[in-house]
Amino acid sequence: MIRLKNVSKLYHPNIVGVDEVSLHIRPGEFVSIVGQSGTGKSTLAKLLFAEERPSRGKIEIGGWDITDIRDRDIPTLRRQIGVVFQDFKLLQKKTVYENIAFALQVAGVTPSRIRDVVPRVLSIVNLDEKLHRYPKQLSGGEQQRVAIARALVHSPKVLVADEPTGNLDTLNSREIVDLLSKINEFGTTIVLVTHDREIVNRLRKRVITLEDGKISSDVEEGRYKL
Amino acid sequence: MLLLTLLTVNTLLVMNVITERAIDLVEDRIEVSVYFQDYTEDTTITSAVAYLRSLAQVRDVQTISADEAYEQFLERHEGDEDILASLEELGENPFGPTLVIKAYSAEDFEIIIDALDNPQFADEIREKDFSNYEEVIDRIRETTDRVRGFGIALSAIFLFFAILIVFNTVRIGIFIHREEIGIMRLVGASNWFIKAPFLLEMIFLSLMSVGLAVGIMYPVLAIIEPRFNLYFGGQSVGLIQYFSENGLLIFGGQFLILVLITLFSTSLAMRKFLKV
Repeated sequence: MIRLKNVSKLYHPNIVGVDEVSLHIRPGEFVSIVGQSGTGKSTLAKLLFAEERPSRGKIEIGGWDITDIRDRDIPTLRRQIGVVFQDFKLLQKKTVYENIAFALQVAGVTPSRIRDVVPRVLSIVNLDEKLHRYPKQLSGGEQQRVAIARALVHSPKVLVADEPTGNLDTLNSREIVDLLSKINEFGTTIVLVTHDREIVNRLRKRVITLEDGKISSDVEEGRYKL
Repeated sequence: MLLLTLLTVNTLLVMNVITERAIDLVEDRIEVSVYFQDYTEDTTITSAVAYLRSLAQVRDVQTISADEAYEQFLERHEGDEDILASLEELGENPFGPTLVIKAYSAEDFEIIIDALDNPQFADEIREKDFSNYEEVIDRIRETTDRVRGFGIALSAIFLFFAILIVFNTVRIGIFIHREEIGIMRLVGASNWFIKAPFLLEMIFLSLMSVGLAVGIMYPVLAIIEPRFNLYFGGQSVGLIQYFSENGLLIFGGQFLILVLITLFSTSLAMRKFLKV
């Protein structure tokens, strides 16, 4: 599903994002990428949805070599990879329904299909009662669930979550991780970037640890070791 | 600024119409009078008229016989006792036949004057009277060319500022909507989906500028045309008629050019500030 071969990202000759990273994530896996701040976790996530281009190496997603992806192909890639961020990135002037529908509108999906898909993803994240609320009227956990729902509208094969619980309390963090696990059970590959020890230990899934931009460990059913 | 550019360009057009009309009127008044000797035979006059009419440069030839010339002279100097007394003293009609020749344009007169040197009747021509209107026309052209040059320079300056303003408008637009643009990119919006609102806004802006220019031009033309008509001896300058007949071409063309320019400027700004 996801294959990285000797991937390096240099922001400056002396500033290394990731360094000679090679890994393979199989379809349907749930992988946590952990590490301390500045070890290259977010850079690795950005390389997966082409927010950053590698300086060296090769990246393949679902057999598609995105190493030198053209600008015009990036929208196609992003419709196949759902992305969730720590700061939710919701449009404050749009309701829950409109935020999710927006992701479909930009892809040119017909209004009837939008009316069909949006309630379905909202029920997955248990927000079908709050579709007319604005982001400010929701808790942090609910906002993150909206962001996850939006990431799911294109039925992506991969969901990249970059510190999705960074702004949430313990209870909400658990809810979000449970939701990600539920999505993973439906067959979506999940790449979770986090430094939340409790979450990683609770998941008991594959854990890749980064140190100074390099993979220091890659363990099936791993634990947070740093 | 777009509107100012359009108004300057349209003022230049108005000036062009007025200049052409002024030159037409001056040219319309130019004529060469050819005075023949009083002994010239009618057959010579007839062949001279036929010869002149065969020239492509000649628009019209009017013949004034010796008697008509005499009558006209009497009418012109009706109250002038001395002149009439002198004419009486001569005892006979001193005037010969006259041809009044009109050409299509001022440049044609030189050719017509040269043609009158034809040996067939050159000896019988007493005098050729041609006021040098070409100089007047040259002066009109020179002045209008200078004003036109100034207008073009002014349009170019306005256009330059218009491009800068469009560029900055788009830059500010991108800055204001940066969060929304970021989310659009995140959820897989195509580049065109992101760029389209900016491009459409600029097309709308161009359309509005042309609409305003039309809204200003026609009432202004309605006000100034009668004043210009007075200068042209009550004859219509045809400004409104010109803009009515060519309005679609003029304003449609201006809209298209404006759209191209604003799109160019918008694309430049997007390339620089909108990373999609």
